[in-house]
Order: sequence, then structure tokens, then C-alpha cells
Amino acid sequence: MISALATRPAVRAAMIGAYILLVEWTRALAYRVPEAAVASVVLGAAALAVTVIGWPAGRLGLGTSRLGLRILGGLALAAVLLLPAAVRASSAPIIPASLALTAVTISVAQELAFRGALYAALEEAGGAPVAILGSTVAWTAAHALSHPPAFLGAVAAAGLLLALWRWACRDLVAPIIGHVIADLAL
Amino acid sequence: MTPEPVARAALRRPILVAFAAAAYVMAAWMVTPGFYDGISPQQPYNFTSPPPQAPPGNLQPRPGHLVIKVIDGVSDANSAFTEDGQVVVGFLPGAFNVTGKTTITVDITPESIFTTPTGLHFATNVYLITADAPLVKDVNLVLRYSDVVPAPSNVYWAAASNSPWKSIGGQEGQPFTIQTTTRQLGYFAAGYPGNATRSSPSAGSQLLPIAVAVLILGVLIAGIPLAVVRRRRAAGEVDEPDEEDEA
Repeated sequence: MISALATRPAVRAAMIGAYILLVEWTRALAYRVPEAAVASVVLGAAALAVTVIGWPAGRLGLGTSRLGLRILGGLALAAVLLLPAAVRASSAPIIPASLALTAVTISVAQELAFRGALYAALEEAGGAPVAILGSTVAWTAAHALSHPPAFLGAVAAAGLLLALWRWACRDLVAPIIGHVIADLAL
Repeated sequence: MTPEPVARAALRRPILVAFAAAAYVMAAWMVTPGFYDGISPQQPYNFTSPPPQAPPGNLQPRPGHLVIKVIDGVSDANSAFTEDGQVVVGFLPGAFNVTGKTTITVDITPESIFTTPTGLHFATNVYLITADAPLVKDVNLVLRYSDVVPAPSNVYWAAASNSPWKSIGGQEGQPFTIQTTTRQLGYFAAGYPGNATRSSPSAGSQLLPIAVAVLILGVLIAGIPLAVVRRRRAAGEVDEPDEEDEA
């Protein structure tokens, strides 16, 4: 089975995508139980992070070359993600400080899973367009249980932006930084 | 490939990213508050009187009702909660003086008419919690609050609708809940002192535009020298190899 996964990129990509969706949907359902909310986020993040095992850092976009630009890109992505909420500041949710660590954990794990492992697997299977669209579709589907339907358009747009950055700059550091800052701010 | 198509190809990527950024801003603008990654509570808070920043479609808060059995002269352990889960009251065994009783009835009622507290700002609804027997043990009270108002710092109690409010403490429990213990029933709400309003949700919401402005400024300020450095490198040096190219 392992050799089949190694020789069939499409199968590997499909299995990674299915696993990620299963983890995210399970986490979303568990989060609804008040006593399990924090644990579901932390465990879900750990389960997502597992997807990067076996992938070289460079294939995931986790290079350290041009680190200054990657960090700068992350700040720019954060500014874009937060811009609509900042303009309408009176309606922005306020995340309690105690959730800050869980927010950081899950945002890093989601980027590693969606724009890291899943993107790399889809790119291997079908090229950049498949990776961009496939990771965005999976990202949107994963948020279907945790977000009201009205928000899924914005979720998809955020996923597309981060995936296009991943493609354009071959970089995952900036999406991680942008996603973390955005989650911390809201 | 001639230089012109190469230049166009090089521009394609940042242009597509810029379009995606614009598309995101437009999509996020259509929903309040824009980016939101599901860390906030799933269920919208039901306000008796929704604040201006509350999302549309507010439902009225639901009451709660519980009948606790008296077994061998001791009231049973149980929890009373409102139908929307915004209030939970936990009773230990023997929490009530059950003299002459076979059951204890507990009611939780959201109140819209109460004495406006001076010097306090409530983050939750006011709830009247009553029982037909007096408490003899502390009970655990959990109040849920909305993510569109600042987190309360205390739970407040009043004996009657026109009584003064008194802080009975409070600590954060599960996300977006505050909990405390009390030996008395009556009116309860979670909030913070009135003089803290200047530092709170509005402070949080004022910080967000400032933070975004700082991010944008930082990108512009740091981007200029980095762009200059890259131009000089491109003009006279070999670029450092990308790890992905080597993988």
C-alpha cells in the first residue's frame, strides 16, 4: 500500500485531503461541546500537523531563503485578512486571551496541512492549478461545519489568496504568519 | 523567450495574488466581521436587548426549569440550565434545606426589567434564578457571554429587582463563559465596572484598526529597503538558490 501511495500521487493527494477533512470536521463537532472546546482545538492541530511527516521542508514551502521577504509577506497577508474587520471595528469579535495559544496552534497546523502537505500532494498529482483550486476547495469544505454558510465565501476567498501566495512565492512561511496574526487579532 | 514575454510572465504571479487579495476584501466585506476562523463561539448569543454590534437575527433568550428530587431527606445533585445554554447552575447533593419537601423546583428567567446598575456595565443578560427552598450549600453558576462584547470580569448579584448590585467574583471557565459560586439566589448578570468601559470592547475594536495600520506601514517601510537590496543583487550578484529547487 505504501508503494502504491508513492507511485500514485493522485491517490496520495486524495488520502491526505480526506484525512484533513475528517480531522477538521471532527474538531468542529467536538468544539461545540463546551468542556471539549480547547482540547478539540489542540488535538485537532496535532492531528493536522501529522500530515507534513515525510515531506521535505522545501517541498512544503518552509524554506529560510529570503526570510525577510517571507516575514514581510506574512505581515502584508495579515493586513489584507484583517482589513475588512478593521474598517468595521465595532463589529469585530474579541477573542479572550486564554484562546490566543489555541488560535496560534490551529492556524499553524491548518497552514501546514492545507497549503503545506495537501498543496504539495496536489501539485505533484496535477500541477499548480490543481493544487491551488484543490486546497482551496478542501479548505472551504473543512470550514462548512464551523462557519455559517454566509461566511464560506469569505473563507474560500481567504483560502484562494493564501494558496496563490503559496504558488507565486513557493512559500508557506508568509501564509503561516498572516493566518496566525489574523487569528490572534480576531 | 524574448525579454518582453518573460517580463509579462514574471508579472503574472503578483498580479494574480493582488486580484485574490481584492477578491478576498470584497467577499469579506459582505459578512461581518470579515475574517473569522471559528475560534469564536458557535452559537450566537441571545440578547434580551441586543447591542448595536450584535449580528442580525437576534433571538430572545430562553428560560430554564428544573425539578430536583429529594431522596432520603437530601436534595439530589443536578444542574439547571436555560434552553439556550446561556446559564447553567450546578447543585451538589444536599444543596437545599428540604424540610417538608419531596421535590425542589428551580426556575431561570431572563429579565428585561431591572434596576439599571450605576457604575456597572453588563456583558450578559440579567437572569432571575429562583427555587422554592433555601440554599444551604454553594452552587456553581456559569454564564455564557457573547464575542461581540468585552469579556466580563465579574458576576454580579442583586437580591431583588430594585436592590443594589454586588460583585460575587468570577473566573473564566470554558471559552466565552464566566463562572462563580454563590449561596444565594436572585438576579445575576456578568459584567465589568463602568469605569472600565474606556479600556474594553471598544478598546479592543480600536486596537484592530491601529494594528492593521501598523502592519501596512511596516510592510511599506520594510519593503522599500528590501526591494533596493534585491535590485542591487539582481544587478551584480547571483541569487541564492531556493531550497525547493534543491529538493
